[in-house]
Amino acid sequence: MWRPVLRRLGSGVVVLWAAATAAYLALHLAPGDTVDTLVGDGPDTPQIRAQIAADLGLDRPAAVQYVTYLWRLLHGDFGRSYVLQRPVLDIIGSQVWPTVKLTLVACAFSAVIAVVVALVSTGRSRWVRGLVSALELSVVSAPGFLIGILLLSVFSFRLGWFPVSGDRDVSALVLPALSLALPIGGLLSQVLREGLERALDEPFAVTARARGLTRRALLWRHALRHALLPAVTLAGTLIGFLLSAAVVVERVFGRPGLGQVATDAVGTKDIPVVLAVVMLSAAIYVGLSTLADLTYLAVDPRLRKG
Amino acid sequence: MRKSLSMLAAVALLAAGCGGTASGEPGAGAGAPVTGGSLTWAVETEPVTFNPHLYAQAKARLLVWNSFEALLTHDEQGGYVPWLAKSYEVSADGKAYTFKLRDDVTFHDGEKFDAAAVKANLDQLFVPGYAPGVTSTQLKHYAGAKVVDASTIEVDLKQPDVLILDFFASPQGAQISPKSLKSPDLKAGGPDVVGTGPFILDRYSKGQEVHYKKNPAYKWAPANAGHQGPAYLDEVTYRFLKESSVRVGALTSGQVDVIEGVPATEQGLVKADPSLQFAQHLNSGTAYNYYFNQAKAPFDDINVRKAFRDAVDVDGVLQGVYRGTATRAWSVLSPSGPFYDSSLEKSYGNDPAAANRLLDQAGWAAKDADGFRTKDGKRLTVRIVLSAPFVRDKRDILAQAVQAAVKQSAGIDLQVKVVDQGTATDALNKGEFEVFDNSRADTDAGAALTLIVPKGAPINRHGFTSPELDAQVAAGSATSDVAKRKEIYTGIQKTLTDNATLLPLYAPADQIAAQKTVGGVGFEPTAGVPASAYNVWIGK
Repeated sequence: MWRPVLRRLGSGVVVLWAAATAAYLALHLAPGDTVDTLVGDGPDTPQIRAQIAADLGLDRPAAVQYVTYLWRLLHGDFGRSYVLQRPVLDIIGSQVWPTVKLTLVACAFSAVIAVVVALVSTGRSRWVRGLVSALELSVVSAPGFLIGILLLSVFSFRLGWFPVSGDRDVSALVLPALSLALPIGGLLSQVLREGLERALDEPFAVTARARGLTRRALLWRHALRHALLPAVTLAGTLIGFLLSAAVVVERVFGRPGLGQVATDAVGTKDIPVVLAVVMLSAAIYVGLSTLADLTYLAVDPRLRKG
Repeated sequence: MRKSLSMLAAVALLAAGCGGTASGEPGAGAGAPVTGGSLTWAVETEPVTFNPHLYAQAKARLLVWNSFEALLTHDEQGGYVPWLAKSYEVSADGKAYTFKLRDDVTFHDGEKFDAAAVKANLDQLFVPGYAPGVTSTQLKHYAGAKVVDASTIEVDLKQPDVLILDFFASPQGAQISPKSLKSPDLKAGGPDVVGTGPFILDRYSKGQEVHYKKNPAYKWAPANAGHQGPAYLDEVTYRFLKESSVRVGALTSGQVDVIEGVPATEQGLVKADPSLQFAQHLNSGTAYNYYFNQAKAPFDDINVRKAFRDAVDVDGVLQGVYRGTATRAWSVLSPSGPFYDSSLEKSYGNDPAAANRLLDQAGWAAKDADGFRTKDGKRLTVRIVLSAPFVRDKRDILAQAVQAAVKQSAGIDLQVKVVDQGTATDALNKGEFEVFDNSRADTDAGAALTLIVPKGAPINRHGFTSPELDAQVAAGSATSDVAKRKEIYTGIQKTLTDNATLLPLYAPADQIAAQKTVGGVGFEPTAGVPASAYNVWIGK
């Protein structure tokens, strides 16, 4: 029983190391350097550049920098941001909660959207389904930026129902979460509807109807459970999408959050911050998938062998 | 009489249209100043640091002077107004500056502002690794400072350098409390790093906003600040909204009181709204220029440089890209500054016939199947490399408009490459460019010229050098006589124009839009960027 658990945790550590190394390599291979950013609009001479490089330890060989980095990481030391001049853990710490809040609410919104839309549109006339599919397709394929601006102009600028920006109260969370949730909800409802329709074709559905169950009860109590499985699996893989979509949403709505921090840091080659964000998202992935695998083990005895 | 009045009105309209100074009358609808209230201001740029010594983003300047102050400040004519210093004297040899300081100033943390504090700030700048950008340029001739008495400090220079006064009026020369200089967060700035200004930075949420509250003890505003005593507003919140359409929407829906950064595409909407006011001001420093790399072919030939300059209908290009909101530039310097040589206006350019004649003379007489000129079977191709993170004011679109213009009128193939910062730096270092674009926002135009003109200067990417120019630049920063400096810088501008070193395009500007109820919004003298919130109030 414990061996698979340990194996799972061990591979989790390897994944974390691989993520740290890959991110490190990618940043070093990309053209450009941190010094350019730090020079900014300010005066720029070779002496200034040399001094900045020496100050940050960027003048050492890349291999030495890498080993130092890993060693510090093992001790829980993520270093200081080159650009923001503050400890990386402080920066990440202050930005995690707004992003988590946004993602959680967006997940809830997309679940509601997906389930309601799928249940309402399943087995309806051709033109209703056509209309719903067209709507789903447009929100899935529209750029997040556009959805955000549209929601803002209607519900904030014109109607004044929600504030434009910031991380304040619940009302400030509605529009950003909705712009994240619409594309995901649209995607999930498509999968869900297909599952529902397949379930309704199954023999058990006919049997249930024959025993006098109403169509609605059949949909809600039986078909939905069958259809949920593929949708839940898909939802799990959409976490990556959520994080990258959060970048755009945070920018449009002027919200604090990890997405902003990550893009700024990549743009300015603020290596300690980028690596910390990569490590954090890798850790979330590893954590979630380990949890899922362990749950399977607990639920399904057939998987415990081997 | 009637005729002359309407003439005057026409002239005034023309002047306003040129945007040489603030257009419109900011705060006209807000009535007399009102004390109290809190204001929300949406800004485009979140500063990477709140420490003024390390200031490097022109777009963040409007935040600096809320909580920090310098010894001097600029007036509109290229001179200086006392601020934390009551007066200054220059020794006869120009190498010693003695500042008499105000003795009634305290920092937000209760520390007294005196000569020892000024010395502590200067010493901090020279701590290795702290501010190399300041010590190697603005303070490159600094020799040391002596505390004469509590309210007198003498600053010594290795050689005469009038730009030292510009330093003592710049954010980098702002005064930080000696106690804050020991803060572990010194480089990042924030609530723990304090100054003497009319507002106290008390809250900063990264990615969202920075909040200031009034400094009730404030009574040392410079004479040109608009009023004396504490600020009108009790609180001011600057919200970071990077998207211009979101800023404008937030303003039109009344969710914020003031915004800065209104691009040409949004200006019509703002100007048409009767409840809003709009103002624009040109920045100091240089214009946005295309410098020709004359270190290599084809721009080593002055005829080709002149042909490129003549081939572009700059007014037409600007009209197309900026819909009449941009101010055309004629010289390396921005028209907003005191050293600008206006005699260069309309002295060249927009002459396709001359461009074609010059290119024929230079040997680029043949044309290939695509309509581009060739010489010895080689196409007349020049490259401009734009770094995507630094593209502002739609300069990528502008480059495409210039590209179309030079192709159509003279058969020149301008290749526009928008790349990431690293690739751009690489291309510049390897000399893989023929056109280099740049604008600088230095408050003293002389500081910009020392970086662009002399041989081996950091952004001398055009490769044009001459001993006379080097001497002129040095002479310009050695004298404090404004008339003499104007004469010297006029000479430099003329030389660069005669040599066709560059194609000036437009003068960068900043915009403010605000609710009509807001009074006192305006621009900082000389710098031309939005001023701090000190003089701003919310009317009834």
